[in-house]
Amino acid sequence: MRAENYQQINHPPSHAFELNFGPNHPGIEGNYALQVQVEGDTVVQARADGGYLHRGFEKLMEQRLWIQNIALVPRICVPDPSPMEVCYSMAVEQIAGIEVPERAQWIRVMQLELSRIAAHLFTFGGHAATTGMYSPMFWGVADRDLILDLFEEFTGGRIYSIYNLPGGVRRELPEGFLQRVTDTLDYIESRLPDYDDLFFKNRVFIKRAKGVGVTEQAMALEYGVTGPNLRAAGLPFDVRRDDPYLVYEQLEFEVPTEEAGDAWARTLVRRSELIESIRIVRQVVAALPDIGGPLRTPIPNPLAWRVPAGESYARVESSKGELAYYVVSDGSEKPWRVHVRGPSSMHAVQVLEELVKGGRIEDVAQTMFSLDACPPEVDR
Amino acid sequence: MNMDAFTPWLDALCGRIDGMVVACSDLAQRRSRIDLPSEELTTLLEAAKGEMGFVHLSAISCVDWIEEGEFELVYHLWSYEQNQLLSIHIRVARDLGRFQSVYDLYRPAGFFERDIHEMYGLYFEGAPDMEKFILTEWNGPPPMRKDFDSEAFVGETFDWQQYNPEWLQEIVAAGGGVVVPPTEQRFSQRKKVDGPDWSGDHPQAKRGQE
Repeated sequence: MRAENYQQINHPPSHAFELNFGPNHPGIEGNYALQVQVEGDTVVQARADGGYLHRGFEKLMEQRLWIQNIALVPRICVPDPSPMEVCYSMAVEQIAGIEVPERAQWIRVMQLELSRIAAHLFTFGGHAATTGMYSPMFWGVADRDLILDLFEEFTGGRIYSIYNLPGGVRRELPEGFLQRVTDTLDYIESRLPDYDDLFFKNRVFIKRAKGVGVTEQAMALEYGVTGPNLRAAGLPFDVRRDDPYLVYEQLEFEVPTEEAGDAWARTLVRRSELIESIRIVRQVVAALPDIGGPLRTPIPNPLAWRVPAGESYARVESSKGELAYYVVSDGSEKPWRVHVRGPSSMHAVQVLEELVKGGRIEDVAQTMFSLDACPPEVDR
Repeated sequence: MNMDAFTPWLDALCGRIDGMVVACSDLAQRRSRIDLPSEELTTLLEAAKGEMGFVHLSAISCVDWIEEGEFELVYHLWSYEQNQLLSIHIRVARDLGRFQSVYDLYRPAGFFERDIHEMYGLYFEGAPDMEKFILTEWNGPPPMRKDFDSEAFVGETFDWQQYNPEWLQEIVAAGGGVVVPPTEQRFSQRKKVDGPDWSGDHPQAKRGQE
């Protein structure tokens, strides 16, 4: 925001003051801002201010070919980019009526779950840092890097894979790759007791996180909260299980829940999800050698591909919650409309404003990180 | 939960609401589409939320059908009880520029309606907050409308700069570089603007002719 456009929120009485969390603030996730009105240490009112990372993706996508958009979509969420490209591909496939080969579906599941593990590790690190514990942050980032190494090996990109395309995935897994996935997962699993000691069961952390930013189930449902944040309030809903896509129906995994709905419960749900994701990837690694066949269904010349007119609403479970793409085609070479429903557009705006209200200043950052808000999804 | 209740409910609803059409309903894929006259929206939403547990408003999407002079609003509802996604399609006149908010029924609408107002200029009456959120600094027309040409806007608003530093000239002189002249960009519909001069013996330009 430019200085001349700055407006005070209300007119605070003399004992209250305003605090700008962000856009440049260590306690804010990504490029985002919260204008917070405080009295003493208590937050009276908060107002989310987005747009710092608006890159106009939805408009850009209308001006590019179906296939070109694959390079755009992962950039909508930096910490967890893979669900974006898979979800977009799924939406286009639904319109065009393309059947994805089975092997590609399994590989996609592996990519999604690895991405989820990486995103959760990242969130643990960020959340720990907001409570003053910096070691888990370094650990989280370092262990996430091991997953990024895997991504680099099999997709070519550490963050933005651009590995999917409507019809399937781009290339075959490298030789010996599944063994390296197993090794990495074993390592991450072996690290969990250390994480427990340092972070999840750390008394300092529990004391800081318990009772902070409580979303009761009724409130979570009312505000459209999804994903781990909803499950932390006790509703076992997971798009992977309840609106299954790819081959999730054939996989065994639990949908972990907690009852409390506070920052502590949300973190525990993510920890359990991490374990479930490791379990899923192990099943994929075990199954993949026996699944042959092509990697993708051929599509017509992608540079002149006209997707038949139609619309589709594709949903996947990203690490932040329910991610959906509403894609409309008018039968031309470019999409007529792509609407990205980022899960954070719920819990990073209205929910966050509501949750920090009545809390303390030092819990504002923690609330945001415990919700796993991803501002680029809001801004698009 | 009675999973078989959904289809009879949908059929019964058609009789209760004038002009409601179930365009398609695929229970196995958990997707149903309803086309509806815009004035019946609230009636349907209340019925869906109250009778079938469609408590989750997944998204409101806006599509600009400029040739028909209409905005299409799509309300994506999810029922945790039925495990079904219901897409309600309505059309709103583009010129009118306003519609009723559903914030009273669905809180998430607050975000989506604010976003649509910002991007399409469609005002929602009864919404608690229609202030700018993402485009705080923007004073131009709503950018997601189809009649807003962002490339033309950039061409008119900003100057193209000559960017040809010495180090790049050296690389190009040695036959390198990966620059593609605008005339070679097959899918660019960019308007002709004053820019760098690409005519000349650029090695990259010759590549296609050989």
